[in-house]
Amino acid sequence: MDSALERYSRQMRFYGIGEAGQRKLIESHVTLCGCGALGTVLANVLVRAGVGHLRLVDRDFIETNNLQRQVLFDEHDVAENLPKAEAAARKLAAINSSVHVEPIVTDIDRTNIVELVKDADVILDGTDNFEVRYLINDVAVKLGKPWVYGGCIGSHGQTMTIVPGETPCLRCVFEAAPAPGEAGTCETAGVLSPIVNIVASYQAAEAFKILVGAKQQINRELIYIDVWENILKRIKIAPLFGKVDCPCCRHKRFDWLDGEHGTQTTSLCGRNAVQVSHRRAERLDFEAMARHLQTLGDVQYNRFLLKFDVDGFNFTVFPDGRAIIKGTNDVEKARTLYAKYIGY
Amino acid sequence: MAIRIHIPTPMRQHTDGNAVVEVSGETIQAALDALGEKYPAITQRVFDNGQVRRFINIYLNDEDIRYLDNLETAVKDGDEVSIIPAVAGG
Repeated sequence: MDSALERYSRQMRFYGIGEAGQRKLIESHVTLCGCGALGTVLANVLVRAGVGHLRLVDRDFIETNNLQRQVLFDEHDVAENLPKAEAAARKLAAINSSVHVEPIVTDIDRTNIVELVKDADVILDGTDNFEVRYLINDVAVKLGKPWVYGGCIGSHGQTMTIVPGETPCLRCVFEAAPAPGEAGTCETAGVLSPIVNIVASYQAAEAFKILVGAKQQINRELIYIDVWENILKRIKIAPLFGKVDCPCCRHKRFDWLDGEHGTQTTSLCGRNAVQVSHRRAERLDFEAMARHLQTLGDVQYNRFLLKFDVDGFNFTVFPDGRAIIKGTNDVEKARTLYAKYIGY
Repeated sequence: MAIRIHIPTPMRQHTDGNAVVEVSGETIQAALDALGEKYPAITQRVFDNGQVRRFINIYLNDEDIRYLDNLETAVKDGDEVSIIPAVAGG
């Protein structure tokens, strides 16, 4: 056996992969949207399996309450104030140095998603909100790329695989996103690590099938699992394809991609925090900002982010101008705070 | 025997904490109406102007009612009806 393949020997012995399948995995490009609970499990599985090129996109930084379920992070990452994508990439490089991992710290939106996914063979959902999922769905249907949805809360989770032109898309199955507070969030209802691992592992298996070309094995149902209540349901959704008058996959209306939905400033559900996305052409100069802000409150920064505490509000500012402001759910208030301390 | 309606966790505050409620009825609509009679507060969590809220799906056993006869889909004793909202977290 080729010595570079030796590390994958157990996986290659599996009849569904083989050496040919392994070589396909090594040649594959995957874009993973979100690197939190689902995302870290997905990235860990894919990198160990030798998926050759992994683009890891996440907007957030690591907090202590992430460590219970976000398997690639540790206390040191929290102390270092690292963004999730960067910390994950460092761990993944130590796990499998032959894989090319590309960490990107940004908020996924309609202006950058095409660039992020255009060379991907499959798009994986590790996000925590439907705004981005509908955007992924739009771009996947438009470009004809398969993607795998996953979602978890409490002790239950769901996953489905979307193959444009063959299966129902996300909007066929879920016509709308729950409004904030209507279905609970991980912050209000909590989330158990085992359900995250199960859903993400299922998503990863789907990615393997797509990447090695085992099309007949792809899951074409909505899988619903509850590890506390012992429920395992497989809902037949295939008949929805073509039956639902779907604006996205039937009428090719891409409302999220074409900008009819989505906002520049978003309240982060259940977190008492608001994200202000005010993208700039030039990177912020943290050193200069820190000099200015330290007369007003406590400031710390590294090359990835700047943290600033003032009047009970906690700012995390990224070099592209985006900020997460903790201490309010009020979007207008957050815009005012941004203008006051970060400026336009 | 009866029709068993599975209540999702965020809605159980309206069913006295019950995960499953047994009702009778000949269609999905009748079964959900019977649920609403037992626990009136749940109706507006499931319906908006008489339509199932768009982020909620209703499944009869392992099928989506939208490709059956929707709310008019016939049900019988022993059927399992699940109210399942989209899951956002991750």
